[in-house]
Amino acid sequence: MVVEVIIDGGMLYGLIAVGAGLATGLAGIGAGVGEQGIGAAVVGVVAEEPGFLGKGLFLMLLPETLIIFGLAVSLILMFAWAPFA
Amino acid sequence: MLKPVQMSRVVVAGSKNVIEPIIEKLHELSLLHIVSYSGTEDVFGMGKSLESAHGISEQLIKLRSIERYLDITDKMPDRVFTESEVISQMGDILDRIGADVIATYERIAEIENDVKIKQDQISAMKPLSALPVPLELLSGYESLATFVGTVDSPVESDVTRVSSANEVFSAGDAVAVFVPVDKTSEVSDVLAEHGFSEISLPKDISGSISGAITTLESDIKSLGSEREPLQKKLDDLKAQHEDTILAVDEYLSIHAQKAEAPMQFASTENAFVVDGWVPTDQFDTLKREIESAAGGRVQVEMLDEDEAGEMVEAGEDIPTKIVNPGVARPYELVTRLFAVPEYKEFDPSLLIFIFFPIMYGMILGDVAYGLIILIMMFMLKRKFKTPGWNSLINIVVIASIWTIIFGFLFGEIFGPMGLWDYIFSGTHYVGLLGTVTHPHAVGIDFGAGLYGPLGRFGPSGIGSFDGAMFPMYRLATASVLVLIGVSLFIGVLHTGVGSIIGIKNALAYGDKRDAYFEKLPVIVFQVFLGLFILGFALKSQLMMGGSVVIILVAIILAAMGPEGVLGVTHAPFYVSNIISYLRLLAIGLASVGVAFAANKLAFYVVMPMLSGPGEFTTTAIVVGVVVLIVVHFINLLLGILSPFMHALRLHYVEMFTKFYSQHGGGIEYMPFGYVRRFLRS
Repeated sequence: MVVEVIIDGGMLYGLIAVGAGLATGLAGIGAGVGEQGIGAAVVGVVAEEPGFLGKGLFLMLLPETLIIFGLAVSLILMFAWAPFA
Repeated sequence: MLKPVQMSRVVVAGSKNVIEPIIEKLHELSLLHIVSYSGTEDVFGMGKSLESAHGISEQLIKLRSIERYLDITDKMPDRVFTESEVISQMGDILDRIGADVIATYERIAEIENDVKIKQDQISAMKPLSALPVPLELLSGYESLATFVGTVDSPVESDVTRVSSANEVFSAGDAVAVFVPVDKTSEVSDVLAEHGFSEISLPKDISGSISGAITTLESDIKSLGSEREPLQKKLDDLKAQHEDTILAVDEYLSIHAQKAEAPMQFASTENAFVVDGWVPTDQFDTLKREIESAAGGRVQVEMLDEDEAGEMVEAGEDIPTKIVNPGVARPYELVTRLFAVPEYKEFDPSLLIFIFFPIMYGMILGDVAYGLIILIMMFMLKRKFKTPGWNSLINIVVIASIWTIIFGFLFGEIFGPMGLWDYIFSGTHYVGLLGTVTHPHAVGIDFGAGLYGPLGRFGPSGIGSFDGAMFPMYRLATASVLVLIGVSLFIGVLHTGVGSIIGIKNALAYGDKRDAYFEKLPVIVFQVFLGLFILGFALKSQLMMGGSVVIILVAIILAAMGPEGVLGVTHAPFYVSNIISYLRLLAIGLASVGVAFAANKLAFYVVMPMLSGPGEFTTTAIVVGVVVLIVVHFINLLLGILSPFMHALRLHYVEMFTKFYSQHGGGIEYMPFGYVRRFLRS
């Protein structure tokens, strides 16, 4: 019965939207946690050797792919699933 | 272009009588990449540097210390010197000016040291300044032990308990305790209980403590005023002689390089042998010039391929000389930053020139931002002239041109239809999708819109919107879908090109198994993953089904590769490679979003709120403009950095990993010679 309420009551679209939000948001947190350590290390290195700044910034970016994955999941939810809901 | 220049292995052997003219000629030609003799053969010994080397390096060390004191670093020349000019000024620079600089610098260092000592003394004495005892009376007794320092709690009664004969002065935390010498250890224990920490006092100062502090402070001040003109003198000397000093440095460096060159040669008592690599098409020039310089007393020979191959097998690296057409040359910087390709590998600079600016432009895509960056770069170009900076600036210049082109496609000038639309066309968007009549269409009807009479352009009828596709509104649902497709397409193309180069590199090393069972499955997998997604979008089951079958074949191929079944575990990495290209859309959307929010905030929140109903008041417009400038400025700063780094990342992580460094980085072709800046040749 609960399932029927969800589907018939139009809740499905809302749940998909919430899921999409969580996918990007949580992935963002994950990337942030990843960058935290790298960022601290890079600041340490740059303090000693300013020439490392470019490479350091680049290393900082590596975990940002995680958000992209989250975003990809969100996009699939919003555009591939939601129209059929 | 894509391939490094072809190199040949050369041996130059000659009599020691002609070593100097030959070195001179080699240096002038700047063609031979010298391979240092490793001393492995009995017949030859290691070469010794020319006699002049010692004197030159001494002069160079002296000059470098002058440069360090004057804080002179590398710069582009304001004027160019002839050699005779440099020679005539060298003595003056090294002796008279050098001595002046060193004396001035040493005096400054002395002053700084004095100031530091005095500051330390002040901070040590500060807590004691309230003690009523003059400094000279606090130490120097034979029969008395003194304790001067700070305590946490009053000590007088406890000191009296262990030593009835005592004298205790205190003021706040500070105490001075005098007891007979034989009670030292007991009193010391008692004081420790009260958290005593001793302060060592300067010996050479007398009078009251607060008076001493005042004296020290005025000393510091007078030292500071002595230092100022000295520092100014150094600055003046630097401004006056900077170019001359760097010219002398260049002159001495060139001579040191020549004088020390024989250390890389193999040598016998009467002869020497130089090994090296030279671009094959330059060999004839090299041979002719050297033979004429040495008057025929030299043998210049090119080794044939088999012999050269043996050298390489024995561990010699062939230097890589990368050559690109002018416009792509700045991108060699991006290649070098990663690694110099090996001689047999491809040089990706030209590909970076094609892909990098497009990626940058697609992410930022705003006419106004592009123009601002372009103007900024032309301004920076005047200030930063060294080759490295020049390359970097040129990279951004090309990228900003693509930003402007994409800006026209996206219809973005300070945000989507931003200011332009507000000021000129008078038709405003009222909500994120408010005036969007077809939220699922690619384009949006803005009436006359951005390009006025030019109207819309591009293919029409995409989605449910009838008009032409451009200028497309990036924040609309359908645009996002189109851009997802474009991003993934660029991804498949970009990684695909990388994989093809990877296959060619592997074949160049004769590693067929690696090429066909490790590199080939990747490109097959990724291309058909792209087709699968396209099939999904077009709802074509045939395309999806076919792609899945071929992807499975690719996975089986990978399983047969050198890594065996473990090779299959790379499959998720191939998928993430492609998905990673979604950042082309995502980072762009974030920047459009901020620009959009800035315009919204200024025109629809701040200005109406401040001016009430009716026309906007002047105050409202001023405040609104300030808001616009601040938010757009922040967005622009992020907009310069983040597309650059992300486009770079797509190259380094997604593309370069497909073909780079199978055998470790190469070494760059560095011919024996010198790139002159300050000296006329």
